[in-house]
Amino acid sequence: MPEAPARVVFTSGFSRRYTGGVKEFAIQAKTLRGVITAMERLYPGLGETLLEETTVAINGELYEVGYSQPVPPGAEVFFIPKIEGG
Amino acid sequence: MDDVGKQFKWVGTRPIRPDGVPKVTGRALYGADYHPAGMLYGRILRSPHAHARIRSIDTSKAAALTGVKAVITSADFPEQNFDYIGPERVAVNFWHQTRNIMAREKVLYEGHAVAAVAAISAKIAAEALALIVVDYEVLPHVIDVDAAMQPDAPLLFPDMITRGIEPAPTKPSNISKRLEFHIGDVDAGFAAAEVVVEQTFKTAAVHQAYIEPHASVARFDADGQCEIWCSSQGHFAMRALTAQILKMPIGDLRVHAAEIGGGFGGKTVTYLDPVAALLSRKAGAPVRLTMTREEVFKASGPTSGSSMKMKIGATKDGKIVAADGLFKFQAGAFPGSPVMNACLCAFAPYDIANARTVGYDVVSNRPKAAAYRAPGSPISAFAVESTLDLLAKKLGMDPLQLRLKNIARIGTPTIYGPKLGHAGFAETVQALIDHPGYKAPLGKNQGRGVASGYWFNGGGDSSATMQINADGTVLVATGSPDIGGSRASMAIMAAETLGVDYNQVRVIVADTASVGYTHVTGGSRVTFATGTAVVNASTNMTKEMCKRAAMIWDVDPEGVIWEDGYAKPAGTNVGNFTPLSLREIAAKASQTGGPLTTAASLNAGGQAPGFSTQFCDVEVDPETGKVTILRFVAAQDVGRAIHPGYVEGQIQGGVVQGIGWALNEEYIYDAKGRLDNAGFLDYRIPVASDLPMIEAVLVEVPNPVHPYGAKGVGEANIIPPMAAIANAIDNAIGRRLTELPMSPPKVLAALDAGPKTA
Repeated sequence: MPEAPARVVFTSGFSRRYTGGVKEFAIQAKTLRGVITAMERLYPGLGETLLEETTVAINGELYEVGYSQPVPPGAEVFFIPKIEGG
Repeated sequence: MDDVGKQFKWVGTRPIRPDGVPKVTGRALYGADYHPAGMLYGRILRSPHAHARIRSIDTSKAAALTGVKAVITSADFPEQNFDYIGPERVAVNFWHQTRNIMAREKVLYEGHAVAAVAAISAKIAAEALALIVVDYEVLPHVIDVDAAMQPDAPLLFPDMITRGIEPAPTKPSNISKRLEFHIGDVDAGFAAAEVVVEQTFKTAAVHQAYIEPHASVARFDADGQCEIWCSSQGHFAMRALTAQILKMPIGDLRVHAAEIGGGFGGKTVTYLDPVAALLSRKAGAPVRLTMTREEVFKASGPTSGSSMKMKIGATKDGKIVAADGLFKFQAGAFPGSPVMNACLCAFAPYDIANARTVGYDVVSNRPKAAAYRAPGSPISAFAVESTLDLLAKKLGMDPLQLRLKNIARIGTPTIYGPKLGHAGFAETVQALIDHPGYKAPLGKNQGRGVASGYWFNGGGDSSATMQINADGTVLVATGSPDIGGSRASMAIMAAETLGVDYNQVRVIVADTASVGYTHVTGGSRVTFATGTAVVNASTNMTKEMCKRAAMIWDVDPEGVIWEDGYAKPAGTNVGNFTPLSLREIAAKASQTGGPLTTAASLNAGGQAPGFSTQFCDVEVDPETGKVTILRFVAAQDVGRAIHPGYVEGQIQGGVVQGIGWALNEEYIYDAKGRLDNAGFLDYRIPVASDLPMIEAVLVEVPNPVHPYGAKGVGEANIIPPMAAIANAIDNAIGRRLTELPMSPPKVLAALDAGPKTA
């Protein structure tokens, strides 16, 4: 039986710009690399944007986007604008 | 990592910082202290106008002056593409950036650089500046953010179309960008509210007010290799920015981190390095550029001033059901204020089902805004936390209980999307509820105010290398400039992981050619991210030590463990060997494979956010309007304090900067758009005699992602003070102050004219 897919979510502004307003996707992936590859397949060019412009929250935990980051089954994966401190 | 109750030998102790003696004896080298052989003195000519077109620049007389070795203008810099490169918040548009470093078509603020010279003495450099003739066409200017947003405002860029609005506007304006974030249904939320409070706010632009002015020394050699010594929060970042501005290979540039006399975000950008490098290339000699204090104020980035509107609705029992915030931020002369952070952080501490934040990034004729401690969050928190106080009054609730009732916990959805992943906020509120001072009686004209704050904290790229010397001493090199005592905290974590004495470990900040890439010392990221790199390098070293011990004993490496600073047999079946210390293994390094070195690099993630809750007691002098801080208590979730003394120092420093922001600090412009108070005599930061002891309450909710539970501690503390003080003033005199700074004239005006708030 396949594992539960990750729920990949974008902000409204981001989805308007890059995914025709679609905010949520169910993606089968074990790592962030898999999520990015799947999104790139759906929207060519989006993968690079995700890598360069976003921070990702996996089940509420913030990471800079890196290929090897594990994505647990059924995880909530939010791509949000990158944050920078002072 | 479950280490509750675990005892550490070094983590949580307060050893003396390794950089202390050089600093107090004056031996530490800051940016302006470097003086390579044959060094020239650089100076920058700056605009006297807030807004003007540059018709021409004639540098011929300056270049002809005896002793002048180089003169440059923007014509010497390569042009850049008009692109926003990188993530939104830090999207760097190098077309803008190169124009901020050296004006091209127009000057956009008083102090804007227009030309630079290098000469054999500072005196000759100053004389040369006076010989440069700039023909300006003075243009109308605009300073205030609300004025800059008006349709008839003077435009800084005639082709600036607001980003983030669809369809895109057809007319240009000073509004660079509009942002919106929302959760739930805000209109339905307010319809369900039984109590609604609404208020407008303004905050002044304030400078980071680091004591050390910007300085940079560059030596550009004939082979195209360039070395820079500068005071910054990130020498790798200065390398990248300088390389892009000059369009040179990163590998041709080597940047050394000088000691830094404060940055607070303002030294994450470059102003001088590309100019010094270009002067040096043209002159064929090293060049030093140092800003005067006046230049620091006029030409380096303060944080944004703002104009805000806040509306919060709740049920009668104090449950917040709707919140709506409008944030208009000054970006300065070029786009890029921290308004996005303001939008994201404003309501983050609270569980509010229906919320919206709208932000505007607006250019005006001021120096370009730069990061300042938790950039954006203190500004929006002033509006949110002041409005919460009004709500608490209206509800008749204790303000800490109101916060506790609405607090965000693990799993609370945030306005920026994901659910909150870490605890720590409720614990800071509870710490103050339990604090004996919170219920202490107040005297006449005295008041108490509370406020909270949220900051993301940072992770990201960091590197560390470790060497074990022949005598067993340990050298750790990182790429993080040490601003808040990080060399001490890195030594503590290395000593703890290796099981050796703290004094055995020496930590240095290595240059860009000597350690792996490391992101800036900012975003409260160093103890978390670089600290993890140091712990990983230390763990790699203990594994290497076990391998070396196995060689010495001629056993399998799996049969050796590292414990309390010694390699030991894992069990009696391995053999009866006397444990080997680091020193004993290091002494045999050559025989067991060569020098003992390890390295670790990572892109650190899983940083926990920072929460701070503070209360303060103030006394208002009704005759003068002066506000005296009587007591200030700041609770902050610090994860685990690696060096509690320096964590307390961060909290105290952040609070003091917040007090200055609240009561005194502001940029004051004359009618021509010229800054009137570009110096510490007229730009009043708090000094020790203005302040009580700031009591730091360390709340420790360890971050399970960090090897020792650390969370970023450098920024959350500056978020609450402005609102806490405004709330305390209201509590003292029954007047709500909504504009920063709450200086004596404003307090007096409120006493004379303002209605009592309750």
